[in-house]
Amino acid sequence: MNEHIVKSFDEQLSILKNTILKMGSLAERQIKDATEAVIKHDQEFVDAIVGKDDRIDDLEKDIEQQVVNLLTMRQPLAIDLRETVSAMKISSDLERIGDLSKNIAKRSRHLNKDIVDEISKNFSAASQKVQKNVKLVLDAFINRDAKLAEQVWNADEEIDSLVDICMSSILKCIEKADKNDAAACSQLMFMSKNLERIGDHATNIAETVYFLVTGNYLEGDRPKGTSDLVSGK
Amino acid sequence: MKNKIVAKKVSVFYGAKQALFDVDLNVAEKQVTALIGPSGCGKSTFLRCLNRMNDVIDICKVEGNIEMDGYDIYDKSVDVVQLREKVGMVFQKPNPFPKSIYENVSYGPTIHGIAKDNAHMDEIVESSLKKAALWEEVKDRLDQPGTGLSGGQQQRLCIARAISINPEVILMDEPCSALDPIATAKIETLIDELKSSYTIAIVTHSMAQAARVSQHTGFFHLGKLLEFDSTDKIFKNPENKMTQDYITGRFG
Repeated sequence: MNEHIVKSFDEQLSILKNTILKMGSLAERQIKDATEAVIKHDQEFVDAIVGKDDRIDDLEKDIEQQVVNLLTMRQPLAIDLRETVSAMKISSDLERIGDLSKNIAKRSRHLNKDIVDEISKNFSAASQKVQKNVKLVLDAFINRDAKLAEQVWNADEEIDSLVDICMSSILKCIEKADKNDAAACSQLMFMSKNLERIGDHATNIAETVYFLVTGNYLEGDRPKGTSDLVSGK
Repeated sequence: MKNKIVAKKVSVFYGAKQALFDVDLNVAEKQVTALIGPSGCGKSTFLRCLNRMNDVIDICKVEGNIEMDGYDIYDKSVDVVQLREKVGMVFQKPNPFPKSIYENVSYGPTIHGIAKDNAHMDEIVESSLKKAALWEEVKDRLDQPGTGLSGGQQQRLCIARAISINPEVILMDEPCSALDPIATAKIETLIDELKSSYTIAIVTHSMAQAARVSQHTGFFHLGKLLEFDSTDKIFKNPENKMTQDYITGRFG
């Protein structure tokens, strides 16, 4: 890509891209930490995760400001327009990912060791896959890689099936659970659903990256989990 | 969608210098077609081919074929005055005649013998000024000189003059480049309205204007038409890298 005649335009776009990356890496970290919090039983660790969400929210506002400035000052067109509009969309998906991660961390306070031991393997497996997708979609954004974005888009199905496995194991726990454990299990249900929602936001970002790079929309139905538990069908 | 004008392999020479190279471009009927590109790219030269304005330049030679409604406008049998009656033009700088507002508009119908009588001429002047969204501002001072109007009003007067002879096509060569944003907005609103009755081709240096008013856009560079597509496509996702570089301000 050639440089703009107006140098400061290039600088603005580059700052915008870097802000997205900063926000992306924070969000990625939050998912990882929230998953650890499930196993750790460490209140301070959870508090730290909750506190860090503000930083992500601030970055979203920062990006919104940058986008408004770009639209006002530059009236971007073609690739610049797609870049600017995409930044706004991606930042709002990242903000949601941050919120959902924070929510997983907060809910982990209600869990007990026995329950966690039973489902942690399945929960971690789903979370690993979610984290991988978020990482890959951010790579696709950095490298302007439409093919990778498409791969992430298609991989959402795997997340759905891992979340389904996780939810089924939670259901089994509920069957034999006392009142307290049942409450913990219902927290875990929400936490699993949060993972699945994070996966959906990664899929949104994949669509945005694909549009950003190619100017076209990903064709066809969005890949969806087939299970009733996950999709609510 | 019907093409009002079909241009094939149009080349233009000013003496030994070739200004246009084999341009194929269609102008869709009752739509707005924008021609964009850096200065000297040939877009105005092309526009001027469409009503044979280049004929007035001695050293200018036009090759290729331009048809309007299926008739070759460069055919020997074509009367250029009649052609320009069908294909009106509005220029970059408002150029009203040094006459009254009324006479500016009545001039064309007079020389083309369009008006049956004075009452009919009054009607033509009024309806042309109304179509050009100028009537309300000038109806009480039609006898005052057109040159006394503001820039934006003068340009709308020129548009009224162009449509007074009921043309089929209106060519606009950077019609807003000398106007402030309010006058520009009025002209753009006018273009939106006029396109239901007229076919419009507009040369503009404002990317935003091309994106706003046109349905088709052609990008010219060094005398060649590098890309022609729907305006939507050109400004969101052009195929040609040169188009993208130009509209995004990357042109070195």
